Amino acid sequence: MPKSILIVDDSVTMLMSVKTNLEMNKFKVETADDGVKALAKLTSGFKPDLIITDINMPNMGGIELIKKIRTLPGFRFTPILTLTTESQQGKRDEGKAAGATGWLVKPVGGTDLLKIIKQVLPGA
Amino acid sequence: MAIEYKKSVATFSEFISVEEAEALLEWLLKNPKGKVNFAECTHIHASSLQVLMALKPTIVAEPKDADLAVWLKVALAD
Amino acid sequence: MNNLLEQFLSEGRDFLQGIGEKLMQLEDEPNSTPLMTELFRFVHTLKGNSGLFEFPEMTRVLHASEDLMDAVRNGRVGYSQDLADQLLDAMDFVGMLMDEIEATGEISKNHAVPAAEHAQVLRSLLVVSESNADSNSDLHTSSEIKSEVNSLLAELPIFELEESVAEELYLHALEGETAFWVEYKPESDCFFKGEDPLFLMRQVPDTLWRHIILNNTAPILAEMDVYSNQLVFQLLTTAPSEELDDLFRYVPDEIKRIEIPALAFVRPTGNQDDHAIDIDFIDNALALLNKNNISVLTQIINTMLELSAPELWSSSVLRWVLRLLEHEPDNKTAQHALLKSLQTLTAPDWSAPAEHVERSDSKEVEHATTSVNVRKTEEDDELLQNFYVVVNAQREILSLSHKSGFSWTAGRLKSIASTLMGCYRAVNRECNIDNVLERALAENSPTPLLTWLEESLANNEQDVEIEVETDFSEISTSSESTPNALISDHKDAHENVVHNEAKTARRVDEVSTVVPKTLKVDQDKIDRLMNLIGEMVVAKNALPYLANRAETVFGVRDLSREIKAQYAVINRVAEEMQDTIMQVRMMPVSFIFQRFPRMVRDISRKLGKEVELVLEGESTEADKNIVEALSDPLIHIVRNSLDHGLEQPDVRLAAGKNATGKLTIRATQESDRVLIEIMDDGKGIDPKIIKHKAYEKGLIDETTLERISDQDAINLIFAAGFSTVEVISDLSGRGVGMDVVRSAVEKVNGTVGIESQVGKGTRIHLSLPLSMAVTNVIIIESNKQIFGVPMDMVVETVRVPRSQIRTIKHKQTTVLRGRVVPLLSLNQLLARGVEQLPNEDDEFATLIVRVHGEHIGILVDEFRETVDIILKPMAGILGGLSSYSGAALLGDGSVLMVLNPRELI
Repeated sequence: MPKSILIVDDSVTMLMSVKTNLEMNKFKVETADDGVKALAKLTSGFKPDLIITDINMPNMGGIELIKKIRTLPGFRFTPILTLTTESQQGKRDEGKAAGATGWLVKPVGGTDLLKIIKQVLPGA
Repeated sequence: MAIEYKKSVATFSEFISVEEAEALLEWLLKNPKGKVNFAECTHIHASSLQVLMALKPTIVAEPKDADLAVWLKVALAD
Repeated sequence: MNNLLEQFLSEGRDFLQGIGEKLMQLEDEPNSTPLMTELFRFVHTLKGNSGLFEFPEMTRVLHASEDLMDAVRNGRVGYSQDLADQLLDAMDFVGMLMDEIEATGEISKNHAVPAAEHAQVLRSLLVVSESNADSNSDLHTSSEIKSEVNSLLAELPIFELEESVAEELYLHALEGETAFWVEYKPESDCFFKGEDPLFLMRQVPDTLWRHIILNNTAPILAEMDVYSNQLVFQLLTTAPSEELDDLFRYVPDEIKRIEIPALAFVRPTGNQDDHAIDIDFIDNALALLNKNNISVLTQIINTMLELSAPELWSSSVLRWVLRLLEHEPDNKTAQHALLKSLQTLTAPDWSAPAEHVERSDSKEVEHATTSVNVRKTEEDDELLQNFYVVVNAQREILSLSHKSGFSWTAGRLKSIASTLMGCYRAVNRECNIDNVLERALAENSPTPLLTWLEESLANNEQDVEIEVETDFSEISTSSESTPNALISDHKDAHENVVHNEAKTARRVDEVSTVVPKTLKVDQDKIDRLMNLIGEMVVAKNALPYLANRAETVFGVRDLSREIKAQYAVINRVAEEMQDTIMQVRMMPVSFIFQRFPRMVRDISRKLGKEVELVLEGESTEADKNIVEALSDPLIHIVRNSLDHGLEQPDVRLAAGKNATGKLTIRATQESDRVLIEIMDDGKGIDPKIIKHKAYEKGLIDETTLERISDQDAINLIFAAGFSTVEVISDLSGRGVGMDVVRSAVEKVNGTVGIESQVGKGTRIHLSLPLSMAVTNVIIIESNKQIFGVPMDMVVETVRVPRSQIRTIKHKQTTVLRGRVVPLLSLNQLLARGVEQLPNEDDEFATLIVRVHGEHIGILVDEFRETVDIILKPMAGILGGLSSYSGAALLGDGSVLMVLNPRELI
């Protein structure tokens, strides 16, 4: 059974690139372009095995989204990765403190992405 | 994909996710002589592992997955 | 190095110093909010600054410290001594990184792991204390963590490795394939971050050993919180370091990683109850190892292994010895330690510094050859020690096998002879052993060799003592050649001073009302000034000569008077200048005292003793050189007091004393000398034990043993040759290095004394001149030459009539105020074959000097005036003449050689 992943990012380019990459590797991928839309997806019955989210987004940013996700029933233990830039060391820590499992560094290359997903997602 | 509980044996199959721990603890407390079968199991989340380590149930079958078998052995040895 | 970095380093050191001070103050006032706030500010600023540079290791440790201090400041974590310990350790580490940055401009990658460890220890203190804040048990838990980290290497659980696995790992490690021990302590809420610690650990490649610990805190299983992680994972892996970094990059603070050195795998295993190896075998094996006879050693070990059950612990030791012989043939220390472990039945502690093992060697050496106090450079010291180890091993072989009827083959005899020749050559000693060997071969007996060796050893002891004397005098005549052991500390001290000055200078900007105006001056400039004034003093001394010449040679009495008047003025100014410059060089003894609180605290805690340190007179000042010279002797004495003087709390209580021992270090000024007293209320020194030890070591003869007073007996601990390792364990242990203390103090014209009462305590007092700059000497004449003798050694000058001189046992003596004083002629001491000239009344001018507390008369031809001189140590070949302490220029431009009676006699 393929693992499903939710990607949250306000940049369509980023969404497309990660989505294509993951689908090529047999993952089922859903996307959302801000935190509010992501939460709507999660509360309407979609239960991804992994969530990847950007930090800076309109409406609801990544940090707030992570905090909200952790209060949702069924998402207490879901692995979450933040999408950060090289310089956002502080945001990575903030994300971890809010409940993220780890982070990806943009630009996200294919092999790196898969390696990290395999590390945090048993059975992937 | 989960733990299947029968009368006296809990059978673990494939991946045991983090949520299984609560039920496992409950079952082992209710069935102090309950045994566990790991044969088809490939991974146990640390949450369930610590339950197993705390209660040390009798193992009826070791996992076929050699690496998991080694870890379970050091974790559940006396 | 750019300015910003320089600024950071110098400011950073101030902060470190400040942090240390505040932490110490907090020990006395653990609830002081201003102190906490200040401490937090220091750590916070330092961390912020470090972030400006690419020093992630440093920033990481500081970040963890900051978080911890923040928690302490806000009352979330209680202040404890252990917390202070960890912070001090971490700050020491940061200081070390700063040193490295200063030296190389960067931080070596090797520090990444220790940095992570420090950060982790600090963070664990934070986490544990926070979660246990209610139960108030943070002190206990944090001390557990501390001891865990401290003894990590010693307690690595790889004891449980099977010998074959350990062997494999050992070989891997030797080939440079590093093995890591990894401990992963996931946060308790890690499941709620989507983590699965077991899954992470299972991804570590090349795992050779693993272990999981469950720390279930719930009292009953039904209440177990399954979603709070209670597991700790440990494993041993040969995976590359980068791969591990990669794997654990999201949880670096929860990972403890230690690189395992090859030796750490050398852990004998097996049944220890049945001790099968007898002492003869061990001695024999050690002797073979010492003389590097590896083939025979291997042979006897193999035989022993065939005779012993393989599952025995001792068999495992022997197998490891064989492996070490094969794979690390040059690591004699380790091989020796392993063989030794057969005696002690405890596995060698590889985590202890190597010197530990070596010290046990030197103990045997000194024991076997009676004390040979070798005060030489370290290499020579080691060479000589090795010499004695090997030579004594030969002696033991020769005598042991002699008794047990061991069959002697020509090959064995030759091998011993060639070993001896090699040894003697290595230490530049003659070894005419050929004839002896021939005789031994002819008789097929080791006896000729043994006799030769014993005689040779007896002779050599004298040689060694003479060598030591020479070396010692080099030390005391030339100020440049300090004993090696002292050099490094001198340097440190020097740097500290500069640093101190820098600090004072900077503080001026901040709080100009509190600190007096200070000028930062390079020490070289002061030294130059000092030299110039020295020359000035000498030059001005020429004026009275000139005045005399004006009157006697040129007959102009008025000019002579004017010159004399002018001289008086110049003299006054010059003296004042000299005084002022000396004042500039003065520094308070607090400079060396300030390290004692930390040192006493660290050592006493390590020893499990309770010690109250009292410092008095810290503002007492002395010349910088004197203060620096004091540093090492003081540390030595304080260490001795802590180690051997002060007792354990239970022993003290049993003796009716306060459980807390008191160590007082007091500085006072007494006219032109500084007095330093180090007093403890420990168990004191037993003169009886000292007497007997001194007798055994041949330092005193039987009559002295009977007659010697208790005080004189205690003074024996200053005697060269008294201190041996063996002595420490038997008596209060002051013997160690006290002769070193004495020579260091005497080097700067100081004296040292000791008083001790059994059960009451010990008082050691040092007396040092305030300044080294000017020496007052008396000029004497002998064999038409003039010499200077330092006045501080001269007790009095007398004229002894020839009739009063008695010859006792070929030695001239006289009786002075009811006291027998030995007399020595200066001409004889200087190897001139001329008799001293008496005066018209047939009296000899005699200088009574005090040497090591004894009065000795030196016969000279005539006394002259006393003068103040600037004593310059002699350089080059002359520097090696121990009988002179230096030379000085006199007012008339001639050179005055200043004698050193201590060495002369």
